Amino acid sequence: MHSAGRSWLLLTGFVLFYVIYLLFGALVFSSIERPVEDKLRHDMETLKQEFLNLSCVNPASLERFLVQVLAANKYGVSVLRNSSATSNWDLASSMFFANTLVTTVGYGHTTPLSDTGKAFSIVYALLGVPFTMLVLTACVQRLMYPLVLAPVGLLQRSGMEPRSATAVHFLLLLLMVVLCFLLAPAAIFSLLEVSWSFLDGVYFCFISLCTIGLGDFVPGTQPGQQYRPLYQVSVMVYLFVGLMMMFLLLHTFHKMADLHGLTTFLQLPHCEETDEDREPIVDNKLEEESSYPSDKAASKPLEPGSQPSYNTINKG
Amino acid sequence: MAAPDLLDPKSATHNTKPRLSFSTKPITLTPREESEVVATVMKWKTVSAIFLLVVLYLVMGAAVFRTLEQPHESAQRLAILSQKLEFLSRHTCVNQSQLEELVKQVVSAVRSGVNPAGTLTNHSSLWDLNSAFFFAGTVITTIGFGNISPHTEGGRIFCIIYALLGIPLFGFLLAGVGDQLGTIFGKGIARVEKMFVHWNISQTKIRVISTLLFVLFGCLLFVALPAAIFKYIEGWSALESLYFVVITLTTIGFGDFVAGGSEIEYLDYYKPIVWFWILVGLAYFAAILSMIGDWLRVISKRTKEEVGEIRAHAAEWTANVSAEFKETRRRVSVEIYDKFQRATSIKRKLSTDLGFSPTPEFTLSKRAVSVNFNDERDRKEKEAGLQGLTTPLAKNGSLLINGLDPERGDFTIIEHLK
Repeated sequence: MHSAGRSWLLLTGFVLFYVIYLLFGALVFSSIERPVEDKLRHDMETLKQEFLNLSCVNPASLERFLVQVLAANKYGVSVLRNSSATSNWDLASSMFFANTLVTTVGYGHTTPLSDTGKAFSIVYALLGVPFTMLVLTACVQRLMYPLVLAPVGLLQRSGMEPRSATAVHFLLLLLMVVLCFLLAPAAIFSLLEVSWSFLDGVYFCFISLCTIGLGDFVPGTQPGQQYRPLYQVSVMVYLFVGLMMMFLLLHTFHKMADLHGLTTFLQLPHCEETDEDREPIVDNKLEEESSYPSDKAASKPLEPGSQPSYNTINKG
Repeated sequence: MAAPDLLDPKSATHNTKPRLSFSTKPITLTPREESEVVATVMKWKTVSAIFLLVVLYLVMGAAVFRTLEQPHESAQRLAILSQKLEFLSRHTCVNQSQLEELVKQVVSAVRSGVNPAGTLTNHSSLWDLNSAFFFAGTVITTIGFGNISPHTEGGRIFCIIYALLGIPLFGFLLAGVGDQLGTIFGKGIARVEKMFVHWNISQTKIRVISTLLFVLFGCLLFVALPAAIFKYIEGWSALESLYFVVITLTTIGFGDFVAGGSEIEYLDYYKPIVWFWILVGLAYFAAILSMIGDWLRVISKRTKEEVGEIRAHAAEWTANVSAEFKETRRRVSVEIYDKFQRATSIKRKLSTDLGFSPTPEFTLSKRAVSVNFNDERDRKEKEAGLQGLTTPLAKNGSLLINGLDPERGDFTIIEHLK
C-alpha cells in the first residue's frame, strides 16, 4: 500500500512539475515571439494597402484570391511562376513523405489531399510506426555491443569502476553523436540550402531527430533544387540513422540511470526485464547453439542446429 | 504466445507495461550481456534483411501515395493557376510580377503564422499565453504540428534547449500515466474476468477477450469520442477528425488539421482539455502500438520457428528418403550378387550332374538356368508365398521366350533358385 501511495504521489508531483514547465515555456515563447509577430502583421497590412492603392483591385476580390492561394499553399501547391515543374508526389517525395509518416516526425509540408489518401495514411501509420520502432530497436540491440558494451568493458578493464566508466562512456557517446549528427549535417545543410544559416541547420537537425518535426524547415523543397530525388533520399537515410543513434543514446542513458539507482528512486521502469523481454527481436539463441565450427549450415540462423540425425546420414 | 499481459495488475506496478516505445523511450529489450558471443556474419545478415523489409514497406507506401495524391495535386495546381490568370485578366492594372511579389510575401507571412486574409486588426495572436502553452505542449510531446513555430533566433535556440529538457520529462510522465492507466484497466478487467470464470472459459480466451475489450473501450474513449467532438466543434468531416486523432496520437503531427487552430471562437477551457486528452491518449496509443509491435515480433518469431520447423522436416524427409534409397540400392545389389553367385554355383553343379546324362542338351540345360533373375518377379513370388509355385505362364513364359519348352522335356524347372 505504501508503494502504491508513493507512486500516486510521484505521479501528481510529475504532473504538477510538467504543468509548471509548460507554463514557463509558454511565458518565454510568448515574450520572445509576440513582438516579432506584431511587426509582421503591421508589415502585411501596409503591403496590402500599397497593393490596393496602386491598382484597380477591390479588397473583396483580393481577399478571395488570397484565401484561395493560401489554401493551395497549405497543400504545397504554389502559384509562383518558377515552381510549376516539380511535383510534391513523385516517387522520391512520396517516399520522403512515407518516411516522415512512419518515423513520426511528420513535417507537414506535404499532406494527403484526397480522402483515400487520408484513410490510407491512418492504416499505414498504425502499422508502420510500431514496425519502424521494432526495426530501430533491433538495430540498436545490434549496435549495443560494438558501441556500448565493448568500450565500457575496455574502460572497466583499464581500472575504472563500473559507475564512472558508464558515465564517461555516455558523455563520450553524447559528444560523438552531437558532432556527427547535429553539427556536421547542420553545416552541410547550411551550405546546400540557400536560405538557411548554420543555426537554422542545427535547429532543423534537432527538431527532426527528436521527431518533433515542426515543418518550418524542410530540406529539398526549394523550387529549382538540383538532384532533388537523390537529396531527399539522403536526407531520409540521415534521419533514419540519426534516429537510431538517438535511441541508442536514450537506451544507454536508461541503463546508466539504472546502474546509478535513479530509476529505482523514481519508481520508473527498469532496464532489466522478464525472460520474455530478454529475448532479442532477432534471435541470438539459435546462433549460439549451433556453433559447431565445421558445420556450415549453422551459419544460417534459421536452420536449427539441434538435429544431429540428418547430419550423420549425410556424412554416411 | 498470447498478447502481452498489459492487464496484469501485479506487473503494472513494477514494470515495463504498457511499454512506451516511441519518441521518448525505446522498447525495453536488452540482449543478455554476459554471453554476446555471436558471429558478426549472422546478425548483420538478419538486420539487413529486416532493413530491406522496411525499405520495401516505404517504397510500397510511396507508390500508393503517389497514385492517390498526384491527380489531386495536379487538379489543385490547375485550379489555382486558372484563378490567377482570371484575377490578372479581370484586374488589368496589376501585372504578373507585382502579383507574384504579393503572393510571396503573403505566403511567408502565413509561414510565420500571420494570416493576411481577413481583417488583421482584431485578430487573436498566435502567441498569447494559451496558444504558447499549446505550442510548448506540442514540442514536448514531439508531436510538432508546425502551424505555429518560432521565427526568431532566440526563439529557436530556446526551443532546442526546452525540448532537450522537456522530452525526457514528458517521457517519465507518460510512463507514469501509462502505468496508472494499466492498473486501472487491469483492475476493471480482473473484475470482468472473475465473472467469466463462472462460465468455464479457457485462460487464453479470457486474456484475448480482455485485450479486445481494452482496445475497444480505449478506442471509444480516446478515439471515437474525441473525433466526434472535433467534428462538431471544428466542423471537419468524420474522416478528417479520425485522421487528426490518429496523426496526433501517434505523435506524427502534420499540422494540416489542428484542434484549436482555426479562426473559430473557442471556449476558454477547450485548449486545456485538448491538451489533457493528448496526454492520456498518448499513453493509450503507446500501449496499443507496443502491443502491435509485440504481435509483429511474435508473428516474426513464430514464422521463423515455423519456417525453421518446415526446413527441419524437409531436411529430415529428404535425408530419410535418400537413406532409404541408399539402403535399397545396397540391399538390391547384395541380392543380385548373391543370386548371381548361387546361379553360378548351381550352374556348376548342374553341369557336373548333367555331365553323366546322355542328352545332348548341354546347351539347353545351360539355358535352363538362365531363368531371369528378375528381383521383382522373385519378390512377387515370395510375397505370394508360393515357393516354387508360380504361374506356369510367368515362369514358362520367359522360358518359352527363350525357346525352351518344358513339355518337351527340354529341362526341369529348377525351383529353388531362391
